[in-house]
Amino acid sequence: MSAWLSGEVHRIKTDVAVIGGGTAGLNVAMAAREAGASVLIVDKAHIMRSGAIAGGIDHFMAYLDTGESWDTREAWLKYVGKVARGAADLRIHEKVFCDELPAALARVEKIGISLRQKDSGEIFRTQTLGQPGPYSINFDGKFLKPAMAKEVARRRCKVINRVQVTNLYLHDGELAGFAGWDMRTGDFYEVQAKAVVIATGNTNRMFKSQTGNPFNLWYCPANTGDLHRAAWDAGVELANVEYVRMTIVPKGFSAPGFNAFFGMGGKFVNGLGDAFMNTYHPMGDKAPRNVMVWGALQEVRAGRGPIYIDVRHLKPKDLEHLFFTLGIDKDTLPEFLHAKGYSREGTMIEMTISEPMQARPSEMCGAGIKIDETCASNIPGVFGAGDASDQMGCLHMCMAGGFAAGKHAARYALRQTRHRPLDAKVLTAERKRVFAPLTRRAGLHYGEFEGIVRIITTDHFGPIKTEISLTSGIAKLDQLDSHREELKASNLHELMRCHEAMNIHAMAKIVAHASLARPESRFSPYHHRADHPETKDEYCGLVVVGKGADGRPTTRFQPLHYAV
Amino acid sequence: MTAVIDKKKCNGCGLCALYCPLDVIYMEDGIGHVVYPDECWHCGACRQECAKGAVRFEFGAMMLAV
Repeated sequence: MSAWLSGEVHRIKTDVAVIGGGTAGLNVAMAAREAGASVLIVDKAHIMRSGAIAGGIDHFMAYLDTGESWDTREAWLKYVGKVARGAADLRIHEKVFCDELPAALARVEKIGISLRQKDSGEIFRTQTLGQPGPYSINFDGKFLKPAMAKEVARRRCKVINRVQVTNLYLHDGELAGFAGWDMRTGDFYEVQAKAVVIATGNTNRMFKSQTGNPFNLWYCPANTGDLHRAAWDAGVELANVEYVRMTIVPKGFSAPGFNAFFGMGGKFVNGLGDAFMNTYHPMGDKAPRNVMVWGALQEVRAGRGPIYIDVRHLKPKDLEHLFFTLGIDKDTLPEFLHAKGYSREGTMIEMTISEPMQARPSEMCGAGIKIDETCASNIPGVFGAGDASDQMGCLHMCMAGGFAAGKHAARYALRQTRHRPLDAKVLTAERKRVFAPLTRRAGLHYGEFEGIVRIITTDHFGPIKTEISLTSGIAKLDQLDSHREELKASNLHELMRCHEAMNIHAMAKIVAHASLARPESRFSPYHHRADHPETKDEYCGLVVVGKGADGRPTTRFQPLHYAV
Repeated sequence: MTAVIDKKKCNGCGLCALYCPLDVIYMEDGIGHVVYPDECWHCGACRQECAKGAVRFEFGAMMLAV
């Protein structure tokens, strides 16, 4: 037996388990504790600095009822129904976001992070992304993540860090628990939970990135669809996973900044120096993100690249705010821009289209675990929250909706009279499977395997797709199955990456199957079927992906209805 | 692209290795080492946590020259 299999086995029971301790997960934990449940948070990194806002966050989208016509719940819902049409379920949005928003805003302040500007004490908001008014509250969220981590510790949530969850288990069709392992010790975890909330974000590293480095990404490269895959394997339905999200990032560094650049009045210009977004959308540079990416793609393809953001016309005060807020959202971005030779006053900043990723098509919905108004999936005991769910995403919904998921999961867990049993034989086999790459003397490195996946995905559906490209892409991804058994790890870090690579591969297949089930284009280029370039009313709704008896993805369609 | 730890400034507190979201920093001989520099996300969490100012970032030609 390998030395790696000599790690301890820990058996834990909890009312609610939260998998993924990012923004959504920590809000789940706070709510579930408040409702009286015991809570276990399991994170692949360390909850002080994990997930999308590990290094900071600079805006929180919200309506604030200030008296402006655009600043109401009704106007917000109208906006959501417009920009996330066919992906956001407004009934769920009202419950998980609108009902929870006032408490979420108060919670940010309560844990010690001010939503106001330091100097003026005012709320400062900007308008982007097709918003009817300035919904984005600019704030210094550099330490929001550590503050939330301290809050869950104060509330006595149990936390296990550096543990990768590998599979979920059911008993009689209901949640029993899950298995995981510690990448620093090799210990194995068998957890029985009455309810589990999956809050593990989206799937990154699935497509080629601009510099070729799969970790130079807009969103957290540690989010690799681990629990999308595990949940799907356990019978949990997914939705909105056909969308391949992208944004506009600085050339060379896939960092966030879109909202700050355009919110502060930056102009998107082409290589000729001409502003072009008015050609593609009446709101110009304030258009929804997918339209901005679409515009950039068209300009480059028409030979009018490269693309730039021009901030030369901004007032010195606004430039100062812009560069400050860029560094809040991505700690290292201002110095990168400086190293590239951009001065604050001078040059236009060259931008490019980011890597594609499996993620929500709009800031107003999510992509992943299909949830209802109580954040529950189709499997009793399994809930979804944050970017990992099909109806939440972005800071505002992760704070508000995460809390909603925690309340509902706790309510469910506290109604259960006992933990459901885990099968010892299944867990023994899982432990062997998990550590198997460490036992192989020769084999495939995770980087090579992932690289093959990325070539296939990018060529076949990253982002432009057709029935032919998807079908042939799926065939290639299926052929890779045999190579999964060749993955080799020489230490625990590499072992973790091997499992991530296999999850990225599995999710790529699911994305392709879901894409086939939507013979139209929606949120182009996020789902752009070159063989069906038009948006069709009959596909206004969700492609729901399940697992068939043959182990392959199945799809069904669920329409969504909008009053306006 | 990577975080770079100045061995002379590092006091061995271990916070960078404890918190790195990408699991790329490990403690070796009481000093923080970026063992997987190609897997650094440039989030800056390690630098923000470092009380000794021992962390800086290198972007490299792949990021700066393209």
